[in-house]
Amino acid sequence: MTKPPYILVFGITLAVLFTLLSAALFRLQVVKGADFERIAESNFVRIRRIIATRGEIYDHKYRPIAQNIPSHNLFLTSGKIRNLPALSRFLEVHFGIKPEELKTLVMKQRFKTYEEILLADNIPYEFMLKLSEQLNYYPELAFRIGSTRSYLYPNHFTGYVGRINEDEYERYKTEDYSLNGYLGKTGLERYYEVLLRGKDGREIVQVDAQGRSLNLFDPDSNLEPLNGLSLVLTIDNDLQEFVSNTFPAGMNGAIVVSDIRSGGILAYVSKPDYDPNLFMQKIDEETWKFLNRSEKPMLDRVIHATYPSGSVFKPLTAGFGLDNNLVTPYTRLASCTGGMKVGNRFFRCWNSGGHGSTNVIDALRVSCDVYFYDLSLKMNLDRFQEYARAAHLYGKTGIDLPNERNGFFPTTAWYRKTYGKNVGIIGHKVNLSIGQGEVLNTPIQLNAFYAAIANNGLWTQPHLLKQTVGRGRLTREQVMPLEKKRLPFKPTTLQTIQQGLWAVVNAPGGTGANAKVNGGTVYGKTGSAENAMGRTTHAWFCGYLVTSKPEIVVTVFLENAGGGGAMAAPITARIFNYYIGNLEKIKQTAPLPPQFRTVQDISAEDVPGESPEAETNNNETDDPAEQSGTENDD
Amino acid sequence: MINRKKFDFTLLALLFLLISLGCVAIFSASTTIIGDQVHIENNWWKQIIFALLAFGVIALLLKLPLPIFEVMVLPLWALNILALILVLFTPAVNGSHRWFALGGINIQPSESAKLLTILMVSRIISKEHLNEYRQILYGFGIMLLPVLLIMIEPDFGTTLVFWTSLLAMLIAAEVPLFFILLIISPVVSVVSSVWWPAIPIWLLIFIFLLLRAHLSWVTITVASIGNIFVALITPVLWMALKDYQQNRVLTFLDPTRDPLGAGYQIIQAKIAIGSGSMFGKGWLLGTQKNMNFLPEHHTDFIFSVIGEEFGFIGCVLLLAVFAAFFGRLIRDVSELKIKERKVATAGIMAYLMFQTFINIGMNIGLVPATGIPLPFVSYGGSNLLINTLSVGVVLKYLNERGFIK
Repeated sequence: MTKPPYILVFGITLAVLFTLLSAALFRLQVVKGADFERIAESNFVRIRRIIATRGEIYDHKYRPIAQNIPSHNLFLTSGKIRNLPALSRFLEVHFGIKPEELKTLVMKQRFKTYEEILLADNIPYEFMLKLSEQLNYYPELAFRIGSTRSYLYPNHFTGYVGRINEDEYERYKTEDYSLNGYLGKTGLERYYEVLLRGKDGREIVQVDAQGRSLNLFDPDSNLEPLNGLSLVLTIDNDLQEFVSNTFPAGMNGAIVVSDIRSGGILAYVSKPDYDPNLFMQKIDEETWKFLNRSEKPMLDRVIHATYPSGSVFKPLTAGFGLDNNLVTPYTRLASCTGGMKVGNRFFRCWNSGGHGSTNVIDALRVSCDVYFYDLSLKMNLDRFQEYARAAHLYGKTGIDLPNERNGFFPTTAWYRKTYGKNVGIIGHKVNLSIGQGEVLNTPIQLNAFYAAIANNGLWTQPHLLKQTVGRGRLTREQVMPLEKKRLPFKPTTLQTIQQGLWAVVNAPGGTGANAKVNGGTVYGKTGSAENAMGRTTHAWFCGYLVTSKPEIVVTVFLENAGGGGAMAAPITARIFNYYIGNLEKIKQTAPLPPQFRTVQDISAEDVPGESPEAETNNNETDDPAEQSGTENDD
Repeated sequence: MINRKKFDFTLLALLFLLISLGCVAIFSASTTIIGDQVHIENNWWKQIIFALLAFGVIALLLKLPLPIFEVMVLPLWALNILALILVLFTPAVNGSHRWFALGGINIQPSESAKLLTILMVSRIISKEHLNEYRQILYGFGIMLLPVLLIMIEPDFGTTLVFWTSLLAMLIAAEVPLFFILLIISPVVSVVSSVWWPAIPIWLLIFIFLLLRAHLSWVTITVASIGNIFVALITPVLWMALKDYQQNRVLTFLDPTRDPLGAGYQIIQAKIAIGSGSMFGKGWLLGTQKNMNFLPEHHTDFIFSVIGEEFGFIGCVLLLAVFAAFFGRLIRDVSELKIKERKVATAGIMAYLMFQTFINIGMNIGLVPATGIPLPFVSYGGSNLLINTLSVGVVLKYLNERGFIK
């Protein structure tokens, strides 16, 4: 039987293909086998992540607030482990890592045994030196230099970075986070994580044990990391320090200072505070207890806590009355005899002596509660709630920090739901009109509200980020547009309220006389809010400073400190005094530091009078190297 | 049910041997040793369960009356095409729509499409009174439907498997060889255009072979001009491609251009196999395997584990088993006398052989990486099932030969 031709074709194909494979295998395994054995021994062809440098955080004059500093970290390559019990002992003794902990870490990475696991970070240098010698017995362990954060001062706005935990890894692993990675946990570090982080690069490590390059790949094939953007904040470090120091020792509370025109926050203090640097090391039990003591130092009282606002809320009530024509600026309401009877309940005024019958300006000046009680009787609660929302005294301000609180302002429906259908709204309304009862505000809400009053009714979103520098220079508007809107006040209403706030500080008998300073006009309102936290009232002072134009707005809040006029107003005065004394210094724009300048900046300097900022650069921070570089370019 | 005189026990034994070797390799690939801790994934016994299942299906197939089997092919193929359409609407996994995820089991309709399309094509092109043109035309027509759907997924490697088996089927259908030559000539022309001296050499060989086939001068002239045109237009089209498109093609052909992606896997596989040297490191003792450099080393890169642990000797022995297996299949093609069955057997042989070559070639850096598993050896339930079933079809044909004719 003759074979058909296709059998021949198939047979030849089979023979050719398998000869080809055998020959290639022979070349790979027999001819080059020894080479590959050597490569395999050192295990040194792998992809390594090049961590992008995280962006730093600066104040508005490019002075650092959060910086990167080198750190020493301990890594484990689980595929190289030879003697697990010995390793467990070593790690337990020196790094406090329990054997079970180690086992779960290793098992979790069992499909990537070549990948390094970060065991401990921020190891003190001396400790590392001491251990270096012993490390020879553990080829699976290696010290590597990384970077960690250093925060200039205790504060609540920068937040801190930390190791990525399991939940976060599951959530973000598609965004190229590694299990050894860090991410912003709170504050600005978390809010602007995307900007700060940058993009990690990749490199191919391909040397053998003797350090010879293997030339298996094109060395240009590495993927360079893109470093994160640095943040320039609106914070002024000097002012921040002053405000922090001027805060009465031993008290809890918050102070916010912001620029009226821009809405940028100049100082952001919440006391007691904590040092974010603590979170850069493994936190021991004692520190943890200290951080969670009853004063709650971790609580950011500016945005994460809400308080009854008391009398600082009154301008809103007054505005509602004036805008809805319930009263005119000249209308005098019920005479204050140290209180007022509504229904069968007697509501007291803070001054048991009484204020007599007042108009709105006088009512604000002496902070007469009865005027507002009487006004509240004419008001519709639900419309008042809408009004508060429009003035951003209820709802988030949208400050660039995570987890801001809403505050609270009730509606009729809420009362019905909470107290039953037959609840008497009137008594609650009376309380709400003076910022007591259910109403709750965060200090940042009041700060933005008073800034808007000072800025002729234009409410600007409070914010911390001024611009980014580094790889890209973006203004805050480019990163995220600032919300700007008008307060619900009519122009005449606004004028009346401003007059009232002026009278509080400057007119005889004003409750805020302590806030008066030379060199500028202070407007403001005191508040002493009764509260459930203690017998003494919360002290509030919200005020703003006008020199030739509106300058800054200050909100001082002290938990259970007593009267706003006595306790909070003097602090405000000290801040205003400091500000007036250092007006030039704070307002002067700082030149862009050389490390952030780009080719465009340098060429802009050559064109005289192009931009004022470029000129300042020329005068102050030029270094000769840069200039010669420019000349060469031309 | 088994006809002792006609049943191919050797083929079954070789199949059994290949699957067993696969389980041994998968067991090793599933083992990770960290210090004195040994961790074994349960892949290997899953594979054994699937193998038992596959042999069970072969037994059932052998019992199934042949007419019923033949009636079932068309509706099954239609259902399979429907599945190929539906799978395009599933969420993408690693950027392609290939799998139905049903309770932890991934079903890949393009796997079963290989076998069913081969059976369909063999039936159509084996009809009597078809001339060569119609055979080729119908063959291409039927292949095109699943191939286009698989292209959309996208899964380029699998479509190559289809074309290879079509070629083998045409050869087995005794379409004159010069037709085959004409069909593959444009592909060779495209390849030869990479290096211009290759073009005239190839054309001379081409014309010589056509002359040998006693073709008319008109045909030879048209075919030659056509091929010259293809060879010359290829560089022009290449230049018209965008940079990134060129890069994508080049990276497919030479993965080391993308060392952070496919090239990384190739180089790790080469290091593992190369370091196995002559005799290998011994079963379960592979160091590269243990470091888990290759994420898929129990599936597409199983050969790297074999190469590392059993060395050149082991690899050649495995190749020899494969060669014996395919040699047996080729012999069986000539044993079968009914054209349809012969053609189908040739198609099945070609698709298995092509996958074997591509997979091993990929592991040792000889051919581009395409994500095709090694038949019978790689881990993967549906793949093993379909490949074994394909051999089962051949066994059934052999077992029942001579019943009709």
